[in-house]
Amino acid sequence: MDWQVRNEDGRLIGEPAGRVDETTWEAFSGHLIAAVREAAAIGSSLTVDLSRLDYMSSRGLRALTIAKREAGDQVAITLASPNERMREILAISRYDKLFEIVDEVGSGG
Amino acid sequence: MLVRFWGTRGSLPVALRADAALGKISRALVAASGRTFADEAEAARFAQDNLDFATWGTYGGATSCVEIEGGDDAFLICDMGSGLREFGIDAFRRCAAGHPRIYHFFMSHLHWDHIMGFPFFGPAFDPGATIVIHAGHPDAEQALRRQQEEISFPVPFDWLRAKFEFITHAEGEPFEVAGVSVTLARQHHSHDSYGFRFEREGRAVVYSTDSEHRVDNMESEAAFEGFFRDADLVVCDTMYSLGDTVSLKQDWGHSSNVVAVDLCQAAGARRLALFHHEPTYTDADIQRMHAETVRYEELVRGDRPPLEVICAYDGLEVSV
Repeated sequence: MDWQVRNEDGRLIGEPAGRVDETTWEAFSGHLIAAVREAAAIGSSLTVDLSRLDYMSSRGLRALTIAKREAGDQVAITLASPNERMREILAISRYDKLFEIVDEVGSGG
Repeated sequence: MLVRFWGTRGSLPVALRADAALGKISRALVAASGRTFADEAEAARFAQDNLDFATWGTYGGATSCVEIEGGDDAFLICDMGSGLREFGIDAFRRCAAGHPRIYHFFMSHLHWDHIMGFPFFGPAFDPGATIVIHAGHPDAEQALRRQQEEISFPVPFDWLRAKFEFITHAEGEPFEVAGVSVTLARQHHSHDSYGFRFEREGRAVVYSTDSEHRVDNMESEAAFEGFFRDADLVVCDTMYSLGDTVSLKQDWGHSSNVVAVDLCQAAGARRLALFHHEPTYTDADIQRMHAETVRYEELVRGDRPPLEVICAYDGLEVSV
């Protein structure tokens, strides 16, 4: 699992790549929490760009929940550009009811 | 070993209502439109071959009770939910055919839905029966006696004629029962719950119900991967969606279908049985949850061998 973070016009975007599973969730969670804190510090929302992510298992999804709790009301978290596999996972887990999901990084949020 | 499910519903027994039965019959009649059948057996074959399970069958509504057949000269039973009544009736039949009247129970915990079948367990009145209750909880006897008190039930515990023994076990310390090696693992649930791993002749069955895998304690899941390691069958609490377990239903003490898949995949288990079904779910709801779980397993399988996902129902038998 690879992770990059960038600031686009004052909006923070985190971009995981590869897989998030039982071997990589801790690194993913650490990156997410750091990004939430950075977003809070600059008064930004956080978009998680899923376009380069193959899939995440429940541990990755639960890392998103931990990040959302860290964010509280201060940082809105949006999931962007999930592939078809991730869309299915988000639907099966009912995480599509817990997070805003947008088709493109630049939309919503 | 043969695993026989006598009760698979979570929290509260449910029964099929007339409108649900009518819906099944109506769908079957529409599907059979224009056909005639020589007898009920032919009609049953048509139903099983052409209708989905939620139409021709039902997942049932009895609460947790799972028999593990394969012990030497003894019955092995996990939990005493309302499915225990049916087991007791069948046990009388088997005892009449010569099966020894020795019963070993393994209690996940002592909540109502896991002990409510005991007052209706006929063999408890058999003076020739021996009933051994294995638990991680030291208060198992208190729970069963309290349930028989007059405010709850007309027959006090002391009127029961079987010979009783209560044994409290420590987690992680294997013990032998009727030729089967048994190990407990403590699980997160109100007043704790315990999972049981049964092993014999290279085969392993895990019974893990009423077990919440908390979002803020994922580090602890390595222990469960060890407990499930290479199991031939893992019976798992899959009562809610993951979304529910991290939001509205956090701390309700239950787990989700997707976490069960992840644990079983990481453990190298071969088969997962979805169990402890949400009582508000219809047969169609449970069937949908099963199909979604099968699909989720495919989506996150990666390079691993396939994990077979089955959905427990009252009356299901699984050979291990």
